[in-house]
Amino acid sequence: MSDPGAVGGSVTYQRLVHKNSSGFHYMKVSLVFEKEGKRIDGAFFKQLIISALRNVYGEIGAAFPFDVLKFEEKSLTAVLRVYNSGLVKLWSALTLLGSYQNETCAVRVVQVLLPYQYTGGP
Amino acid sequence: MAAHVTDQQLRQIRSILLEGWACTGCDVRGPGFSEDCDWFSIRCGNELRKRILLKSLSPQISAVKNNVKKKRTVICPFSSQTSAMFSELQKCPRNVLVCERSSFMNEKSRHDKHVSQHYFNYKVSVFIPHCGVPPSSLSDAMRRFTRFYLVREVPVFELLGEECLEKTVRTGRFYALSYKTRIDQDDVVALLPTGQLILSVVKDTYEQLGLEGRPSQYAHKRPMRYVVVIDLTDKSMAPGSKRYDRVLWALREKVPLKTDFLMACHSVVGTEAWSLPPCLSRYPWKELQASVDTQTLRDLPCPVLHGDDLRGETACEPHAFLEWLGAVGLGIGCENEATSFLSTYECPEPRTLVDQAVLCTVTGLLLPEDIHSLLEELRRYFDQPKSSSWLSLVVHGFADSPISWGMAEHGFHKGGENFYSFVLFKNQDYWLHMGTGANDGCPP
Repeated sequence: MSDPGAVGGSVTYQRLVHKNSSGFHYMKVSLVFEKEGKRIDGAFFKQLIISALRNVYGEIGAAFPFDVLKFEEKSLTAVLRVYNSGLVKLWSALTLLGSYQNETCAVRVVQVLLPYQYTGGP
Repeated sequence: MAAHVTDQQLRQIRSILLEGWACTGCDVRGPGFSEDCDWFSIRCGNELRKRILLKSLSPQISAVKNNVKKKRTVICPFSSQTSAMFSELQKCPRNVLVCERSSFMNEKSRHDKHVSQHYFNYKVSVFIPHCGVPPSSLSDAMRRFTRFYLVREVPVFELLGEECLEKTVRTGRFYALSYKTRIDQDDVVALLPTGQLILSVVKDTYEQLGLEGRPSQYAHKRPMRYVVVIDLTDKSMAPGSKRYDRVLWALREKVPLKTDFLMACHSVVGTEAWSLPPCLSRYPWKELQASVDTQTLRDLPCPVLHGDDLRGETACEPHAFLEWLGAVGLGIGCENEATSFLSTYECPEPRTLVDQAVLCTVTGLLLPEDIHSLLEELRRYFDQPKSSSWLSLVVHGFADSPISWGMAEHGFHKGGENFYSFVLFKNQDYWLHMGTGANDGCPP
């Protein structure tokens, strides 16, 4: 999806414009429990999201890959990576997620970003 | 009968069936798990609707494949919804990444222009591979970032006062940006070093203000946000003139806009450091210094870059490189196996193992002038022989700034991203990546 841009005066100048060619989106999310002090590890967190996806989109709708790049057990925050095509589904499933092991919880989406950008932002 | 259908085959069959045939509420339950079952069941909205015998599966699949190939819209036989709903869910807003390759020695190189026109910067990160401690000249350059002020509850008309104009816009390059105001919900105010005051306001405020503006570029059919640009250096805005009085009246009497501001002024070298003029210091204020954080990373897998290969045909592709830099900044591990449950992220190939690397980040209201001098300092890094052949500088803009580059309007949409990144090579060549999200123009 890139098109070679204009070539400037010098031979060494090169410009490429990539539109929509970044394959992934990144989400910074945090898991909030109604009762404080609940512990959960990364694998359970991913399982929780997968089951939330299944609830909303069924077996097939939920069958797309995403990565938990980082999970902090202390603050219950995570960085997720998902293909662009799965972003809307993942986001909606996270929004509709309401409980874990019979305890009320919610997922807050802190940031949704493109590559590199996910380190920053005020 | 069904025992020979493997799990993977089952998944393939399901995805083919659902891609071109069913609606979002449909689900396929297959045999595979129980041996005495010789049919797939199709459910729609939790009700069993149809059974397909395994032996009649292949004609079904070929019909579906045909539809998908011809991009024919198919209506779900059960819920009468189109399968296009499914593809609708897979869309996502556009993003743009501009990559440039040039040399600092090139007369026509526009690197300084790109830096100076990106007015509001929030975070700068420098990454140097094969380096344990950042050189002292570099740490100095980072500590020399201009101090900035956080002033609380400033009425916007104060910025227009004659005395205030004299001390800000007319003395040097003055930057002001409203603090903790969201570009997609609140009234945002910015004052650029060119003397332009930008009011990006919601519809209600705009209608009460009675100043001339234009609807935001990223508005829907019915604009909910308007942008008013006032050039304070223009003759018609000279204190005492009709237009000036009108603007002052609008901001003082009609809508007394009040917000917290981040302010800084880049004074010309040799003159005294700028301090807050009395018209602003009567509000609660705090002087702040950009915070510097340095960390040394050990045994890091690091992609190999070739300066003359911007496209990444033989080495690391730009998106993969930026993703990797981001992962480094966040401390994300790159040593996952392909079968790992949690994450399959890996450092892009080809790669080498770097014994140590330095990552410095500066956060605050960072002025383009300071970033420019940091860039000059980084260029001098290669004056002495170094084992690394490249280093990188990444600059993030404020996500809620009303502009990105120059006067290009900036919006938030999903992430409000606007950033650029330099990769500096030993031979004074550089790569420049500029990225924006959906509500933003193409970078210059």
